[in-house]
Amino acid sequence: MTAFDANWSLMTPEIVLAALALLVFTIDFMTGIHGKKPFIGKLSVMSLLVTAVLVFLTNSTSGQIADVFVVDGFAMIFKLIILVGVAMVILISMNYLDRNEEIYQGEYYSILLFSALGAMIMVSSADLITLFIGLEILSISSYCLVGFKKYHRHSTEAAIKYVILGGTASAFILYGMSFLYGLTGSTSLRVIGEAMPQLFADYSVMMTISFIFMLVGFGFKISIVPFHMWAPDVYEGAPTPITAFLSVVSKIAGFGIVLRVMVFGFLPVYEEWIFIIAVLAAVTMIVGNAIALTQKNTKRLMAYSGIAQAGYLLVPIAALPFMGNFSLSMILFYSVAYLMMTLGAFAVITLVTEDAGTSDLSSFAGLFQRSPYLAVAMTVFLVSLAGLPLTAGFIGKAQIFFGAVSADLLWLAIIMIVMSVVSFFYYFSFIKQMFMTEPKANDKELQVPVSLSAVVTVALAVTIILGIMPNFLLDIFTTLNWFALF
Amino acid sequence: MVPISLFLSLAAILFCIGLYGVLTRRHLVIVLASIELMLNSVNINLVAFSAIGPFANISGQVFTLFVITVAAAEAAVGLAILIALYRNRNSIDVIKHDLLRW
Repeated sequence: MTAFDANWSLMTPEIVLAALALLVFTIDFMTGIHGKKPFIGKLSVMSLLVTAVLVFLTNSTSGQIADVFVVDGFAMIFKLIILVGVAMVILISMNYLDRNEEIYQGEYYSILLFSALGAMIMVSSADLITLFIGLEILSISSYCLVGFKKYHRHSTEAAIKYVILGGTASAFILYGMSFLYGLTGSTSLRVIGEAMPQLFADYSVMMTISFIFMLVGFGFKISIVPFHMWAPDVYEGAPTPITAFLSVVSKIAGFGIVLRVMVFGFLPVYEEWIFIIAVLAAVTMIVGNAIALTQKNTKRLMAYSGIAQAGYLLVPIAALPFMGNFSLSMILFYSVAYLMMTLGAFAVITLVTEDAGTSDLSSFAGLFQRSPYLAVAMTVFLVSLAGLPLTAGFIGKAQIFFGAVSADLLWLAIIMIVMSVVSFFYYFSFIKQMFMTEPKANDKELQVPVSLSAVVTVALAVTIILGIMPNFLLDIFTTLNWFALF
Repeated sequence: MVPISLFLSLAAILFCIGLYGVLTRRHLVIVLASIELMLNSVNINLVAFSAIGPFANISGQVFTLFVITVAAAEAAVGLAILIALYRNRNSIDVIKHDLLRW
């Protein structure tokens, strides 16, 4: 099948989102660059929700466009996670943007929409070129978003660090990909996957180099440990809603392409890489949690917590050859849980740190007396992140644990449990601030904007419902048709 | 006919020079130029494979065009951020930008 007679209607959600993003961009031009534009924010949320509905509808006809772009159950779940995530980030941003006059609101929303588009293309791609283009749409949008407070010294410094390290990571990914292309003569992941066992037999050195280079680049994008140094700096300097965006949407989309490349490209030769991934998962969990213990800044703390969570998500990838689809279901369940608990926590962090004017941990002092609802919700999110029972985080971690045990990775499962216990300490330092410390003298009761409390409520509801009734989501995953190409 | 290993070695050397530049140079414009060097070494790889590789075909050159385009976009964003940084801090020396650490 060539590109001309391909079924282009499979791309409807992406095309509609691109059109709506351009529309938002145009409306921004027509209404002048300065000033508050809440209607554009609402329009952006609407366009993301419309796209989410379209993703859901087009999935009944799973298929592919010329081996380049696939629509299947795997892509659908990831796209829904991404779209809901970006919509929640926009809702968190609305109040934040009104307080920061220097941010041009229309551009901000349209670039967020474009980054959602890039992430969607990324998780749907089955070809190295498409994958790279999607990745770069997401990355370049993220560079802009990180530097959006352009008169703010921390923000621009974070942006330049992100551009330099992100560009280097892209070069690494491409260098690895160039060998994959050269030795198979094709950029399609399906063809590469079929040729892989023979390739590793014939050119084992070149293929190992190629795999390592791609691992370095992708490892940077999902911030796993030897390649994590950018994350705390960028997360601290970026506007707080963008920190939430980077730690949730960009990371989950990164896991999406790692899985695509692993499942389509490298699964036939899993003996070669499975141990590397397991070791990286262990190191990521240990270093992320250990450094998080020493942090006093909320955004840096959440960055290290996000690194540790990426380590938990790597464990099922190490178990992938033995567990198959069950591994995917573990990753996606934990991704949904991670999306909800992290975005909920960041909604609270955005409001509290912006009100205090500093992102120091002490800005949470006495939050329970200033806003009981936010304090209780934040406690649930943190407890879920730490993995205590009756929350989505617990179910996700328990599944990953049992998956690792049944894939004969007992040592990894034990490291995971020990590190979860370590993580209690730093999550509880938030809770201690909120409940056991008196508020500062001039702190008044917090005014919670409607959009932000909506995000908190949705995140709270999903975190608790998935903690009590996980089968709700797990049943969907067991009946899902994961990959259309096989 | 020139063997493909020569082209691959050239690309590998350029990639290493670029990486060395990113890691050691203090001038941010040179750091960005080094990233371009790394991306261009990938282009040499792709074009070499596309012309005289074991499975020579056109898609390597298509890939190269995409890489060039994306590299240009990345450089544009990088330089814009560089200018914003210079206006805030009056310096583009890597060493001086250390507000965010540990």
